[in-house]
Amino acid sequence: MHYEWDFSAVWSHIDLLLIGLLGTVKIALISIVLGVVVGAVLASMRLSPNRWIRGPATAFVEFYRNTPPIVHFFWFFYALPIVIGLNLDPYAAAVLALSTQSGAFYAEVFRGGITSIERGQWEGAQALGMTRHAAMRRVIVPQALRRMVAPFIERSFELTKTTALASTLAYAELLYQAQQVNSITYRPMEVYTTIALMYFLLLFSASMAARLAERRLSRVG
Amino acid sequence: MDYTWDFKVVADNFPILLRGVWLTVELWAVALVLGLMLGLLISLGPVSGKRWLRIPAIGYVEVFRNTPVLVQLIWFYYAFPIVLGQQLSPITAAIMGLTLNTSAYCAEIFRAGIESIAKGQWEAAKAIGMTRSMALRRVILPQVGKRMLPAFTNRAIELAKVTSLASVLAVHEVMYQGRLLSSTYYRPLEILTVVALVYFVLIYPGSWLSARLERKLALRD
Repeated sequence: MHYEWDFSAVWSHIDLLLIGLLGTVKIALISIVLGVVVGAVLASMRLSPNRWIRGPATAFVEFYRNTPPIVHFFWFFYALPIVIGLNLDPYAAAVLALSTQSGAFYAEVFRGGITSIERGQWEGAQALGMTRHAAMRRVIVPQALRRMVAPFIERSFELTKTTALASTLAYAELLYQAQQVNSITYRPMEVYTTIALMYFLLLFSASMAARLAERRLSRVG
Repeated sequence: MDYTWDFKVVADNFPILLRGVWLTVELWAVALVLGLMLGLLISLGPVSGKRWLRIPAIGYVEVFRNTPVLVQLIWFYYAFPIVLGQQLSPITAAIMGLTLNTSAYCAEIFRAGIESIAKGQWEAAKAIGMTRSMALRRVILPQVGKRMLPAFTNRAIELAKVTSLASVLAVHEVMYQGRLLSSTYYRPLEILTVVALVYFVLIYPGSWLSARLERKLALRD
């Protein structure tokens, strides 16, 4: 165990790693936004009284929840282009994989929040003469939102960690950039420890911010 | 969409995929059992009430939970051997990464479970002359076992999905075999779709059982 640490090799390529970090943040944010849209659509489909609308959404969610993300990445990159007859670049494939996957999980967060609201609230809204739609918008969703915050944040963290899989498609996020720096410097110990630390700082600081936001939101309620 | 599907490739190579499935199951079982044991051990740090045990244990859990699993696997395969002075086989590195990652999550589950038991139980055990470890074994753990079950089944499901990342280290589990076959025969659509279905068939029964279990336990409380 006489290993001489040498971080100078990493330091001289820190610009490459920072580009990677930026790539990670970018792909995570875009996939969170798209995932929310996918999740909202799926959740409202799953809440529909019509079986033909509910069924496909349930199948979609169950499929994504029960298969590994890396399979989605490879499927979107190598298999989907055959179906649509159009090549996807690593970025597009990764965003598709991440946002559909997180959409499936967000759908469960949204649905869970809405179904957790007591029946009496629906009945009360109905008694006031509100339509189902109005009750949903004015009564149910505002209350459900508060309950969704914590699981939503949790899911977004999972998604941010999953972005590392985009490296397998050669998208220039943090892990991929680290592999490049490693092949230049041949200092795997320093390089991979550094990016582990970068991920840690990114996620840890985000979780601190999230905890603060959560506390403030729950105080309002 | 004038693509002609050809599942003959999959049928011909099914034994290869099946061998991959076995390795996936093995990885899962070994990492789960080791991860549970190590997790229990680590959870004793925060519950021990001793500062020098608590802080390293919390640090360990936070590091593994706030970095991507893929980075951990790559770190154990490419970086760790340098400190160790000995190359690790892909499967050893994969098992190490998966086990330690799982142990961090299991430690959190154990800790939350143990801390959910009222303090009075500890005091009562002490009052009848039990040592702390005896109280933990005879009084506390038997009560929290049931409460922690849904969290552990969820972890087991997550782990089943995460084993697919071992393919990045060239461990010949089912995802790796799928990637290999799809690049050999150039039939990614059929092969990757089948791989996704294989995972679904493996994992879905677990999720189904876990959901049932959760509902049952929720009803009882």
